[in-house]
Amino acid sequence: MPMDPRTEELLVERALRGLDDDEHRELQQRGAEDDDSYDLAAAAILLATTPVEAMPAELANKVLAAAPAGPPSTLVGVVAPTIGKPAPVASLQDQREKQTKRRSSLVPWLAAAACLLVAIGAWLWAGRDGKHTSALPIAEARAELLRSAPDVTTIEWKATDDPAAKGALGDVVWSQTRQLGYMRFRGLAVNDPKQYQYQLWIFDKGRDDKYPVDGGVFDITPSGEVIVPIKAKLAVDEAAMFAVTVERPGGVVVSKRERIVVIAARKS
Amino acid sequence: MTSSPVLARVAAGDALAVRECLARYGALVWSIARRFEPGDAEDAVQEIFLDLWKSAARFDPQIASEATFVAMIARRRLIDRRRAHRRRPATEQLAETPIPDTALRPDASLEAAKAARALGQLRPEQRQVLVLSTCHGMSHGEIAAHTGMPLGTVKAHARRGLSSIRAALLGVPEGQS
Repeated sequence: MPMDPRTEELLVERALRGLDDDEHRELQQRGAEDDDSYDLAAAAILLATTPVEAMPAELANKVLAAAPAGPPSTLVGVVAPTIGKPAPVASLQDQREKQTKRRSSLVPWLAAAACLLVAIGAWLWAGRDGKHTSALPIAEARAELLRSAPDVTTIEWKATDDPAAKGALGDVVWSQTRQLGYMRFRGLAVNDPKQYQYQLWIFDKGRDDKYPVDGGVFDITPSGEVIVPIKAKLAVDEAAMFAVTVERPGGVVVSKRERIVVIAARKS
Repeated sequence: MTSSPVLARVAAGDALAVRECLARYGALVWSIARRFEPGDAEDAVQEIFLDLWKSAARFDPQIASEATFVAMIARRRLIDRRRAHRRRPATEQLAETPIPDTALRPDASLEAAKAARALGQLRPEQRQVLVLSTCHGMSHGEIAAHTGMPLGTVKAHARRGLSSIRAALLGVPEGQS
């Protein structure tokens, strides 16, 4: 459905510069206040272009000190911002005063938090030389592969007409020399592993495409973005294409390819 | 195997999840805050995380990745701070045209990956306006003054550019709801 031009204008302006009170009210009256799609697009641009550097440890401690001890409703007096309506910034001063009073009782907790942050940092750093990739959380392991493997390729999934693939998107990264890769999905239908599972097939340029390499069986859970490691059963000489099919629980040795959900083909 | 979201657990009051959230996104928030407010990033970061703890329950993994949601919360707070305190962007950092290198960080979220590809397909002037606006918080007037483009042109580039990125993320034609 085409969007009303004025609504689109307000959403764009909110994403780029914020709205004044009148504009904010107008957006509410148009029933579009909850449409975050332009704000998320702006956030995605920022994510794509911002070099990331570590937060200073002292600042991390301050953030932790102000963190809720229970559910976030305990953050009295703080309101999450709406665009164009500055949140009560004075609350930060209130928080500072509260922090001074709480600091003495928080010292042991801060020390524990600092140790935890150091441990997390060491854990993440250990993965950067590529030697401990398997011990990293899956997203970090994928990132480590992209950083360290010179031959890694990234290919976007293309969804088929299969109902499970409606709205599916994502990519597959693969390193030939490491024989290692990861699939990433959003929007692929959540499956009940007792009913069916997804199975990856890797089409090797050097093999008959009747017999692709089994890349492993996996499930999609309702957690949004899902990253799955590729577990190729055989060495792959040259991956030409990746395809995911729907199969019975546990997978199959040879797929009938009755339900292919996504495909990622390397450009030759 | 999944990259398990942490914000749902933050919303539920899990203290360990709060620490994990900080470990996971602290660098991102700090880097974004420094981009918008290089001289006052510490205050900004603390406010952003307060907003994040409060907004955690709103995160929907079906709509965006956690990193994109966190970046959105950060931008909103930074825009609010700029409007409230009439801060000006640090234009001395923009001596060269800040066209982003669209080679992605390896840990880029799906949205960031798509946004980077879509950015690369925009006309250079649209891309420039969009980056100055979204990543440096410059107003249309400030961008016009910085680039020499007419104000109307800047507004048109910003609107079309952001609509293009949004359409690429959603997989819909531009201007569709």
